[in-house]
Amino acid sequence: MNFLNQTLLLLKKDLILEVRRRENLLTMFFFGTLLLFVFHFSFDLVPERVVEMAPGLLWLAFLFTGTLGLAQLFEAERGNHCLEALLLSPMDRGALFLAKTAFNFILMVLVEIVVIPLFWILFNLGSWDIIPHLFLVVLLGTIGFCVLGTLLSAVTLKARARELLLPLVLFPLMIPVILGTIRCMEAILRAGELGDALPWLRLLIGFDVIFLTVGILIFDWVIEV
Amino acid sequence: MGAWGFVFLAYGIVWCAILIYWFTLKRRLRRAETELAQLRASQE
Amino acid sequence: MAGISTASVKTKGYLGALALISVLLGLYWGLWHAPPDAYQGEVQRIMYLHIPSILTAYLSFFLVFIGSCLYLWKREKRDDILAYSAAEIGVLFTALTIIEGSVWGKPTWGVWWTWDARLTLTAILLLIFAGYLMLRSLTEDENRAASAAAVLGIIGFLDIPLIHMSVYWWRTLHQPPSILRPDKAPWDNVHPAMLTALGINFIGFVLLYFYLLSQRFRLGEINEEIKARLLSRNH
Repeated sequence: MNFLNQTLLLLKKDLILEVRRRENLLTMFFFGTLLLFVFHFSFDLVPERVVEMAPGLLWLAFLFTGTLGLAQLFEAERGNHCLEALLLSPMDRGALFLAKTAFNFILMVLVEIVVIPLFWILFNLGSWDIIPHLFLVVLLGTIGFCVLGTLLSAVTLKARARELLLPLVLFPLMIPVILGTIRCMEAILRAGELGDALPWLRLLIGFDVIFLTVGILIFDWVIEV
Repeated sequence: MGAWGFVFLAYGIVWCAILIYWFTLKRRLRRAETELAQLRASQE
Repeated sequence: MAGISTASVKTKGYLGALALISVLLGLYWGLWHAPPDAYQGEVQRIMYLHIPSILTAYLSFFLVFIGSCLYLWKREKRDDILAYSAAEIGVLFTALTIIEGSVWGKPTWGVWWTWDARLTLTAILLLIFAGYLMLRSLTEDENRAASAAAVLGIIGFLDIPLIHMSVYWWRTLHQPPSILRPDKAPWDNVHPAMLTALGINFIGFVLLYFYLLSQRFRLGEINEEIKARLLSRNH
């Protein structure tokens, strides 16, 4: 079975499990929406300030929601020595990495599809034309988050206080993605197009490509029995 | 605090910290070396 | 286990002595011999600490990277010890860099902290180092801790250039032109004695770094042997 098929098979397994139990998706949805409300009460979001703060707030919401998903990422493999079984099988471990990354990515995108329009409505951000452009940038950022997050989720698998340790190691390394997406989103919100923010987009894409490659190559050593 | 005050503050903190680290490192080394010597003695 | 430590206590002794001499020379040159800066005054002398500190901090991370790569490749314990030692000393020098930058900043900018590129980047470096050390100590199985930390070390090192770029762009594109740009090093009116002072201090710091590293490395090796002996004794 070639690499791509392995990846798709593993991904399908996780998706089927998710469809049946829906626990990850629902908690992530709920948490993401809840954060929007908390933001409204925490920050005085008058219309003039919303546009400035919107990208940052959205990203905060996605970061925390995504971290929830990451913590649960390898839960399915915990019991019954599933992980050991997977590792003993002739599956390419890079495929496992890609499948897990894709799984978290799909979950996050589903949440984003709901949260972004919701954010738009709740905070009266104006015309809907730019949402697709915004969404594209968010997608690129989400890829970066999922790639690095899956790697670090696997790395911290056997650590104590894992729920605290994972964000602690992940967030500093995410800074290029955070800065990149927010700068791009700002530009889009202000001018409807990237303009000056184009270098940031390139940085974002570069980040995604680099760590996707690194992840696939290095995953052999990340997950060990 | 005049300019020299800041200079001495910085230099003071830095070299104190380095010295403290060095002393604690030395102490850890001494303890480890004695423990190793004991283990070696009891196993040989 | 042959290696850095058995490469003789004597070499380490010489290293230590050399480091001490360089450091003392550096103190003399930096605090006395070199003239004060034309614009910054005496405060500029803190740079004789700050610049070598930040360079040793990055050197440290590079060693973490090398140790991590070697460990994942060859699985030799000494590479792991190298990475761990470099990380521990790296945290020290990074924290000192931040303190030096802050103390320099107060008389220069009027504030103890500002989110300028240099300080922000050093703070991020500290966070990454700290994360590495926490991962190490929180992971239970020794071997897994070593591998996990090695992967983190590699990822961290690869990320640093990207973090650099993003923070610098962020800071330079959004800095209002009226604010002083202290990132521009004061290289305009450089008196040769100042360059010498910097050079001597730099050498002193690097020697000191390697001296501390060699001691910490030895500690790591001893702990390894203790563990091995305890393990074999209990079986």
